[in-house]
Amino acid sequence: MAINVNTVYQTVLLILNKEQRGYMTPLEFNKIGGQVQLEIFEKYAEDMNQQLRVPQIDLDYSDRQLNVDEKISIFKDIDTATYTTNGFQIPLQYSGSSSASQQFTIANPGLQYTLTGDTASLLTTGGVASVFLNNVQLSNNDFSISGSILTLNSQPPAGQVLIINIYPKQFYRLGTVIYSAGALPIQELERVGGSQLYHLLSSNLTKPTTTYPIYTYKNNYLNVYPVSIKSGISVNYLRKPIQPIWAFTGTNQYVFSPTASNNFELHSSEQTEVILKILLYAGVVIRDPEIVQIAASQIQQQEMNQKS
Amino acid sequence: MSIPNGGLITETNRQYYAGAQQFQASSTSSVGQTFTSTFDTNLTFSSSDNASNGYNLNNFKIFTSVDAITWAELIPSAVIASTTGTSNTVSAINQKNVTVAAANTDVLVGMTILKADGSFVGIVASIAAGNQTFTCISNLAVAVANLDVLTFRFAQPYSELNNIVTINAKLPASIFVKIQLNEDTLWDSNGSYSYTRLDDVIDNFLIAYVGAGKLIPSIKRSDVIFHAKRGLQEFSYDTLKSIRSQELTVPLSLTLTMPQDYVNYTRFSWVDQMGVQHTIYPANELTLRPYATPTQADDGSIVQDSNNSNTELTSQITGAWNANNPRSLSGAFLNDYNVADLYWQNYYNNALGQRYGLNPVTSQRNGWFVVDDRRGQFGFSSDLKEKLITLEYVSDGNAYDLDARIPKMAEEALYAHIIYSILSTSIGVQEYVVQRFKKERSAKLRNAKIRLSNIKLDEIVQVFRNQSKWIKY
Repeated sequence: MAINVNTVYQTVLLILNKEQRGYMTPLEFNKIGGQVQLEIFEKYAEDMNQQLRVPQIDLDYSDRQLNVDEKISIFKDIDTATYTTNGFQIPLQYSGSSSASQQFTIANPGLQYTLTGDTASLLTTGGVASVFLNNVQLSNNDFSISGSILTLNSQPPAGQVLIINIYPKQFYRLGTVIYSAGALPIQELERVGGSQLYHLLSSNLTKPTTTYPIYTYKNNYLNVYPVSIKSGISVNYLRKPIQPIWAFTGTNQYVFSPTASNNFELHSSEQTEVILKILLYAGVVIRDPEIVQIAASQIQQQEMNQKS
Repeated sequence: MSIPNGGLITETNRQYYAGAQQFQASSTSSVGQTFTSTFDTNLTFSSSDNASNGYNLNNFKIFTSVDAITWAELIPSAVIASTTGTSNTVSAINQKNVTVAAANTDVLVGMTILKADGSFVGIVASIAAGNQTFTCISNLAVAVANLDVLTFRFAQPYSELNNIVTINAKLPASIFVKIQLNEDTLWDSNGSYSYTRLDDVIDNFLIAYVGAGKLIPSIKRSDVIFHAKRGLQEFSYDTLKSIRSQELTVPLSLTLTMPQDYVNYTRFSWVDQMGVQHTIYPANELTLRPYATPTQADDGSIVQDSNNSNTELTSQITGAWNANNPRSLSGAFLNDYNVADLYWQNYYNNALGQRYGLNPVTSQRNGWFVVDDRRGQFGFSSDLKEKLITLEYVSDGNAYDLDARIPKMAEEALYAHIIYSILSTSIGVQEYVVQRFKKERSAKLRNAKIRLSNIKLDEIVQVFRNQSKWIKY
C-alpha cells in the first residue's frame, strides 16, 4: 500500500534534472517529503467532509467517500485508554523515543522470531513495523506480529538477513470513544464541551448514564461521565504517518539503503500527488518558477478532477 | 424456534418462560469459572451470602446440579462451596495457622473458617503442602481447640459483574450451573416483546434518520435522548396504556400518599367483596384541601412566627369533610346495595321507589376523593374508611429503568415525534419540511392511539348486540 520512497525520489530527481534545473539532496527530500505527506494526510478530513455533503455514485471504485475513507483507513487504530486520577489518558502519546531495529541473520530458518530489547518494548507499547528480508521490504500481508513474536508467512532461506524496524505510533486525531463492560452492550461515548457538561450533568432527562456516557477532552485526557466508569474505555484514533526517509550509505555518492529507509505511508494512489507536491516545494528550493507553476497547475487540475 | 436465530428474540424458550439459563462447567474441576448471562434483563447482584441483606437485592440465584435434574442453590453452606475438617492442635489467637487432622484438598484460598458454633476464625490466605495447615490473612479471631470441627466455606461463593457470573467456589468437573431469575424479575421480562426499549429507539433513530445525505446530517445524541424521553412522557399522558395501579386500604386518617411515580390519576375505585370495582368520584366542586391554612389574628391579618414565616393551623375544611356523612350529599337510602351481585336480595328491594330530580354529579354512593397537592396525598370521604380501593394512574415513562420502553404499536409515532422535534428546532430547515413532519407526527400518533385503544371486532360486536335488546317503557 505504501509508496516507495526511492521511486518518488528518483522520479523527482528525474524531472528536476531533465533540463538541468537543479538537484535535490536526500536531506532536502526527506524534510520536504515529510511535509508533503502531512499536508496530504491532513487534507483527508476536509476532503471527507466535503464529499459527505455531495451525493455519491454507488459504483465500485467511484464512490469518493469510500475512496477517501480507504486512504484514511491506513492510519486508523484502536487502543485502550488508561485510567488515571486525571482521567483516561489517550493511547500512545509519542514521547520522542526513537525507533528501534533488530536484525536476524537466519542460520536456522523458521517462521517465528522473538524480538527483544527496545524493539520488543516499542512493539508492546504499540509500534509500526517495517520488515526487510535481504534488503527487500515485505508487505504487511507477508508477516504478522503478536506481542513480541514476529511470524513470517513463508520460511526464508538460510543465510538471509531479516531486519525489523519499529517506529512508535503517534496519536494524531481522536475519533470515536467506546465503553465496554463485561457482557453489556458496547456503548459509544458522546463528546461534549465544557459549557454543555454542567447542563447535561444537572439535567434529569439527559444526565449521562453507563448506557449513554459522555466525555470531555482536554490536555490528552478524557474525562468520562458518569465518573463511576473507571475502565473499559477504548479510543478509535488516527495515528500520524511515519516520517518518510530516503536513507543512504556512502560519502562520495548517495547509495540508497532500503533497510534504513521509510516509505511514504500514504495510499499508493497518492503517488502522483506526492511527486507533484514535492516538485512544487523543490521549485521553491531551487528557485525555479516554471517548476512551481507546472506543479501547481497539475495539482490544481488533479484537485478539480477529484472534487468537482 | 426455541433458539434465537438472528431475529429480535434473543432469549431461548427456557430463558423466557422459566427464567433459567444453563451451563456446563469445565471438564476439569477449577475455581473462578465464569458464565455469561444472555438474558434480556441485566443481572443485579449485591451478595451471594443468603444470610446477608444484600442477597435480597439480587435478581437471580445460582444453582448447581450433577444431573441437571436436581438442583441445589449455591450459597455459602452449599456442599460444593464448603468443606469441614477436625483440628488436631490448639491454635491461639496470636497465631495465624490452623491445622486439621486429615489432608483436605477442598480447602481453598479465600475460604472463611468457622467453628461449630458459627464463630469466625479467619480467612485462608495460603495452604501449606499436604493440605493440612492453613495460614490465615491475620491472627485468628478466636482460638481453636484440639478436635474442634471447623467449617471452611466461601463467604461469597459467587459474584457478578456486568452480566458475567464468576463462581469463586471450586466447581466439580462438568457440573451443571444454572442462572435462575427471581420471580418478579421474570414478570418484568414476560411480555416485553410488545415493547421496544428507549435505548433501542435512540440507537435506531441515530442509524436511520441521522447522517450525511439525510434531513438531519448530524445531531448530538443527548438531543435525541432528550426528545425521545420527552416524547415518551407526552405519550404516557394520553396515548400509552395506563398500566400503573395500586391496591390500597383507606386508613382511619382517610388519607393516602401519592405513588412515587404518580403524574395523574386515571381512576379511583373501591372494590366490593366480589372484586368488582366501583368508581370513586372527585369531590372537585364539593370541597378541597387548602394549600395553606395561615393563622389569623382577630382583625384578619396573617400571623408570623419568630422566623418571619406564616404560622399554620389545622384545616377546618378537612375536618368538616372527614366528619360528614356522604349520604347527606347523595341523598342515598340507608340500605346500601353496593355489591354488583344481581341476585342479592336487597338489590331489588332498594331499587324500588327511587328518588327523582337529584343532581347526577352528587347522586352516587361510591364515595369521594380529593387531591391534597400541599401534602402530596389523596383524601377520601368517611364512607370509604378501611375499604379496599384501587388507584389507577399514569406515570411519565421515565421513573424507572424498566419504564423506559415504548409499545411497538407506538414506536413509529415516537420516531416521528423525535424527527419533528429536531427539525422544528433546527435552523435552516424549510418550513414546509417542518410542516410535513408535523403532519406525519400527528398522523402517526393518531394511528398509535387507535392501535392502543384495542378495539377488537368481536368485542365491539358484543357491545352492539345490546341494541337488539327489548326495552320496556
